Amino acid sequence: MNEPAVMVQNLTKSFSGRRVVDGLSFQVQKGEVFALLGHNGAGKSTTIDLILGLKAPDEGSASIWGMDAARSRKQVFERVGVQLQNTQYQPNITVEEACIEYASLYAAPENYPRLLKQFGLDALKKSFVSKLSGGERQKLSVVLALLGNPDIVFLDELTTGLDVVARREVWRTLKQLKEQGLTIFLTTHYMEEAEALCDRACIIKSGKKVAEGTVNEVIAASGQKNLEDAYLYLMGEEELL
Amino acid sequence: MYRVEQNIFFRSPDVILFCLSMPLVVFLLIAMIAGGKDAADSGLTYLQSSYVALSTVGICCSAFMSIPITIVELRSQGILRRMYCSPCSPARLLFCDTLCSGVMSACSTLILTIAAVVFFGYRMQGNVLVYIALWLLTMISMFSIGLMVASLCRTTKSMNVATSLLYFPMLLFSGATIPSEVFPATLRAVAEWMPLGMGIRLLKSVSMGCYDHMVMPVAALTAMAVVCGAMAVKTFRWE
Repeated sequence: MNEPAVMVQNLTKSFSGRRVVDGLSFQVQKGEVFALLGHNGAGKSTTIDLILGLKAPDEGSASIWGMDAARSRKQVFERVGVQLQNTQYQPNITVEEACIEYASLYAAPENYPRLLKQFGLDALKKSFVSKLSGGERQKLSVVLALLGNPDIVFLDELTTGLDVVARREVWRTLKQLKEQGLTIFLTTHYMEEAEALCDRACIIKSGKKVAEGTVNEVIAASGQKNLEDAYLYLMGEEELL
Repeated sequence: MYRVEQNIFFRSPDVILFCLSMPLVVFLLIAMIAGGKDAADSGLTYLQSSYVALSTVGICCSAFMSIPITIVELRSQGILRRMYCSPCSPARLLFCDTLCSGVMSACSTLILTIAAVVFFGYRMQGNVLVYIALWLLTMISMFSIGLMVASLCRTTKSMNVATSLLYFPMLLFSGATIPSEVFPATLRAVAEWMPLGMGIRLLKSVSMGCYDHMVMPVAALTAMAVVCGAMAVKTFRWE
């Protein structure tokens, strides 16, 4: 079982001549929480798109559980849960309906009332998704990502735009999931979030890898006292070159 | 999944308004104003003629409003993208939505039929089963046009323009709402060449129990369904 959950090798993608992801390589091990860190527009979402097969790479390859997501979509997504940035819902859909709809996509879906309960959303079952608060909606998107009973979830900027309380709440649920042995791949630009949640992190800048390792390794390598300072230091150093 | 989409569908007021009530209201008006009179030289009364024509309004609404709007919205909101990240194909969602539109058109026609039969004593002279078959053919070819529009239009804006350009002329000039018998001859000629006009003419002749000259329009509608359907599939994009 030493097969990595996610393997990214020399991944490269350009949009109209601009390299958004540039020779990126990293691995995510089973059971760990891995964070992809970087500025807005550093290529985090594009990297996720490439791994999930939503976009085709110009060079390099990415695999989930040793499979190419674009080619073996069916097998891959039975085991992969996804929360994409800026995903909206159909107008006039209720929380419960969204769950039924997404559950119908999987061969052996998780029991959704249980998940709603776990995330404290069961009282809102009949409310319209459009009426939910930001935090509730993000929790719902986590519920939907977990509906397929996945081994790994991809969470793209899950907590962006949430207030402190809602963010802490989401962290708490992610920690629970981690304890249950779920592999989590997340992107964020909040350093304290990465520090609180992650086993390992990879910092990218303009699609290039700047640092990778456990949070402590990254901090130690920069000689700073916390991840935020380390991040700023690493980003600044890159600019001086 | 179908059930959920259907629920969502019925929740939007514009669908109810355009698809279900408008044909009924127009039908009631025409039937009350001119129901028993003969519609020009068609051999039908206005009542008979407008029943047939209005039974296609539901199709027209679904094909050129509901279908493209739903699909383009699903795409622009990233729902199709999200569906792509599941073991199931987003095609299923599209299929469900198209099916919903079909059911909606059928409902619209059903309500109209009940009104016509119960309140105005309408009886179809032709074979009802042939009528239903041709109605379905008309629906399929209109839907394939709608799906093609949804595939070709990148943004909500361009889709709105395209659907309006298709929807309103078809609705007004193909004889679906305003009986084509009152049109001047040139406009009537145009109407006959509109896809929906072709369908309406076919349905009218069947409703009279006349089955001549059907090969050409049936072939044309089928060809349209195949070509537009193929275009829709070929040019389709998730994002």
